[in-house]
Amino acid sequence: MLTDAELVARALKGHQEAFRQIVVRFERPVYSLVARMLQDPATAEDLAQEVFLKAFRRLDTYDPQRKLSSWLFKIAHNTTIDYLRRRTPDTVPLEAEKEDGGGGLAAVLADGSSENPATAAERRDMGRALEQAIGRLRPEYRESVVMFYVEGASYQEICEVTGLPLGTVKTNLHRARKELAQHMTELGWAPRETRDARVS
Amino acid sequence: MRSADQDLIDRWLAAEQGDRADEAEAALAALFTALQPLQPPAGFADRVMLRAGLVPERARRSLFASLWVRGGLTLCLLAMGVSVLWLPQTLRAFAGLLSVGSLVRIWTGSLVTACRWLGSALGLWDFLLTVGRALATPLETPAVALALVSCLLVSTLAFRFLRGLITRDRSWTYVNS
Repeated sequence: MLTDAELVARALKGHQEAFRQIVVRFERPVYSLVARMLQDPATAEDLAQEVFLKAFRRLDTYDPQRKLSSWLFKIAHNTTIDYLRRRTPDTVPLEAEKEDGGGGLAAVLADGSSENPATAAERRDMGRALEQAIGRLRPEYRESVVMFYVEGASYQEICEVTGLPLGTVKTNLHRARKELAQHMTELGWAPRETRDARVS
Repeated sequence: MRSADQDLIDRWLAAEQGDRADEAEAALAALFTALQPLQPPAGFADRVMLRAGLVPERARRSLFASLWVRGGLTLCLLAMGVSVLWLPQTLRAFAGLLSVGSLVRIWTGSLVTACRWLGSALGLWDFLLTVGRALATPLETPAVALALVSCLLVSTLAFRFLRGLITRDRSWTYVNS
């Protein structure tokens, strides 16, 4: 299997299949990051395509010394932030906040492929709640959470993508985690001891 | 029975409430890994390639894909096969160190035989021409020509309709243009 740098080199020579391999290799993490930042799967696909188109046009600016994933995340970060700035507040999708949780990003997650229906339903509810909680975070916290916990990026990579200092990234992650816990509790997912205490 | 996911959430939230940062971070990381990954819709890479104006690379054409190359190779092989008939004579000639005159005689004989074969082939070509002329004569009649053209038109339209019927469900309606 070719490395990322080798794929880029071949793509720069005009091998279209090499660029296609790059898209296939990174479509999931890029789409995941954009979708969770936007909380809108339909728009996320358009923007994720835009990310790869920009990468294609600027492929000659990629530094092979760096990770290709970080470079793509940087483009995704800039593209998504630009879109969020252009978007007016009243057009923010509320799908993540639907009462039945049936729409938007949460509905895309946690399919019913678990071993039994009860587990699948619980996982679906938990996934939905977690996505709703992520959706309530401010964009910069959301991005750091997705990159760190979902994509497994290091602090350094997050610094490179967001352009923030290391201390700020760590602080954002710490605060984001606290807020996530608070949102999950508000959504009814308090720890068992707290739930038992309420019942009694 | 409590699920593993519920245990993870409990562990995470309890660690947050107890200000146990490392434990909370580990539990949240485990919680995220337990979730299904977010996948883009099917055909995402194809749509990216289309928007980038990149068409799929055609498979590199083999040298033998050309009709002319294959035809030429076939003729060469046939010629080799036919020339095997003269091989014993030629070998005898070389083995026996025949004179130049004998060699010329052998090759001249070969040339004459080849010309006779060519003559037979030309005779066949004359026959085909005769058949073609016989078939073409009715087409000089306007009515026959019109009927033939009409049949061709009907068959072309039928073929296009059939093709559209077969390929309709395979159209990429989800591709952004």
